[in-house]
Amino acid sequence: MQTLATVLAAEGAPNPLLPHVSEIIVGAVAFTLLLLFLKSKVFPVFERVYAERHDAIEGGMERAKRLEEEAKQTLEQYREQLAEARHEAARLREEAREQGAVIIAEMREQAQAEARRLTAAAHQQIEADKAAALAQLRIHVGTLATELASRIVGEVLQDDERQRAVVDRFLDGLEAEATAAAAAGSATVGAAGEASTSRGGAGRGAGGS
Amino acid sequence: MTGNIENLGNLNMIGYGLAAIGPGIGIGLIFAAYINGVARQPEARGVLQGIAILGFALAEALAIIGIGLAFVL
Amino acid sequence: MHLVNVAQAAQGTQFEAPGPGDFEFAPFLGGSAFLTKPTLIIVLGSLAIAVLFWLAARRASLVPDKGQFIGESVYGFVRDTIVGDTIGREGRAFVPYLTTLFCFIAVLNLSGIIPVLQFPATSKIGVPLFLALVSWVIFNYVGIRRHGFLGYFKAMMFPPGLPKLIYVLLAPLEFFSTVIIRPITLTLRLTLNMFAGHLVLLVCILGGEFLLVEKGGVLAALSIVPFGFSIVLTFFEAFVQVLQAYVFVLLSALYIAGALADEH
Repeated sequence: MQTLATVLAAEGAPNPLLPHVSEIIVGAVAFTLLLLFLKSKVFPVFERVYAERHDAIEGGMERAKRLEEEAKQTLEQYREQLAEARHEAARLREEAREQGAVIIAEMREQAQAEARRLTAAAHQQIEADKAAALAQLRIHVGTLATELASRIVGEVLQDDERQRAVVDRFLDGLEAEATAAAAAGSATVGAAGEASTSRGGAGRGAGGS
Repeated sequence: MTGNIENLGNLNMIGYGLAAIGPGIGIGLIFAAYINGVARQPEARGVLQGIAILGFALAEALAIIGIGLAFVL
Repeated sequence: MHLVNVAQAAQGTQFEAPGPGDFEFAPFLGGSAFLTKPTLIIVLGSLAIAVLFWLAARRASLVPDKGQFIGESVYGFVRDTIVGDTIGREGRAFVPYLTTLFCFIAVLNLSGIIPVLQFPATSKIGVPLFLALVSWVIFNYVGIRRHGFLGYFKAMMFPPGLPKLIYVLLAPLEFFSTVIIRPITLTLRLTLNMFAGHLVLLVCILGGEFLLVEKGGVLAALSIVPFGFSIVLTFFEAFVQVLQAYVFVLLSALYIAGALADEH
C-alpha cells in the first residue's frame, strides 16, 4: 500500500478516499486493545461506583423513609390505643353510673317496701291493741262504774237489769259526746269509734239477751 | 482534473462550491426550525437539540462528501 | 490540480495551495509503512486514553476526585445521554464499545489541534473505515440475532402498513440505505470532516506564512489576518471534532436501536 501511496504521491494528487492498510491495521489493533483494557479494568469500576453511589443515596433515602413510616405507625398505634382507652373509660363510667342508678333504685324500692311493711305491721298492732283495750275497758268500766255508783248511792245495785241500763245510758252519753267532738276529726277514727260502738252495742245486745 | 485556465484554480472546486449550496440551505432550515421550536417551547430544548445536531450532521455529510469527491474526481 | 501547481511552481514565488498531498507522510526511519505520523498518533492517542482512564479508575471511591469525576462524566455521558435516550435499558451491553468509540474518535480528532501532533489521525480514511465496519457488523448482528435472518431483512425492507405497490420502490431503497449507505456515510462523514477541517487550517496557516516569509512590506503585515483566522478556526475545529465523535457514536447507537426495535 505504501507503494500505491508513493505512486499516487508521485502522480501529484493522492486520493484521500483510498485507505492505507497499515493505518487500518494499526487503528484496529489499537482500538481493540483499548476496548479490551477499558472494558475489563475501567468501566466495571465506574459501574461499581455508580451502583454504590446509587445505593448510598437511595439506601439512605429508603432508610429514612422506613424510619418515618415506623414512627408514623407507632404514632398511629399510640393514638388508637389512647382513643380506645378513652372509649373504655367512658364506657365504664357510663356502666357504673347505670349500675349505681339501678342499685339506688333497688335500695329505695327495698326501703320503701320495708317501710310499708313496718307501717302496715304497726297499724295492725295498733288496731289490735286498740280493739283489745276497748274490749277490756268496756268490761272494767262497767264494773268500776257500778261499784262506784253503789258506793255513792250507798246501796248495792242488785238489780242487774237496772245496773246495766244505767251503765249503758252513761256510756251512750259519753259516746255521743265523743262523736260530736270527733265529727271534724278523721273519718277513720270516727268509723272505728262507730264500729266499736256498734260492736259494743251488739255485744251489749248479745249480753242482754 | 485539470482546467485549461491557468491560475484560476480548479473547476472541481467551483463544482464543489455549487454543490455546497444545497447542504448550506438544508442546515439553515434545520437550525431555523430548531430556533422556532425552542422559542415556542423552551422546555423542549434538550430534545430538540439532539435532533437538530443529528439533522445538521446528516445534511453536512453531503457537503463533506462533496469536498472529498472534489479532490478525488 | 497538479498542473496548476506545476505552473505556479515554474513562476517561483507562487503560493502552493495545500491539497491531499499534505495528508501523506513519508515513513520514519526504516521505511516501514507502519511507522508514519498517523500510526504514531493512533498509538499515542490510545495510550493516552488508556492511561487517563486507568488513573481515573485507580482510586475510585464514592466521592470522586477530579480525574475520576471527568472519567465518570465521559462514561456517564455515553451511558445515560446517548445510549439511555436511544437504545434504552437493553443498551447496557453496548456501552463499553460506544464509550471506547467516543473517546477513541474524539482523541484522534483532537490530535488535529494538539500542538506538535497537529494532524487528525481520523482524516486518514483507514481508521473511520474500520470503526464504521465494526458498528455495521454490530448493528446487523444484533438485528439478525433479535429477529432471525429473514425476519431482520423483512422488518428492514417491508415496514408494515403501506400499500403493496410502494414496496417495489421501498424495499430495495431501504436495503440499499441500511446495508450499504450507512457504513459509507459513517466513514466519509468523519474522514472528510477532519480532512476538510485540517485543510482549511492549513490554508490559513500556510497562507499566512507565505505572506510573511515570501512577500514583504504591507503584505507581510496583512499576514495577521490569516493567522488570526486560523486561531478562530482552531476553536471551531475543536468544537467540530468533538461534535463529529458524538455524531458517530450517536448514529451507531441509533442503528443498533433500530435493529433491536420491533417495528422499523
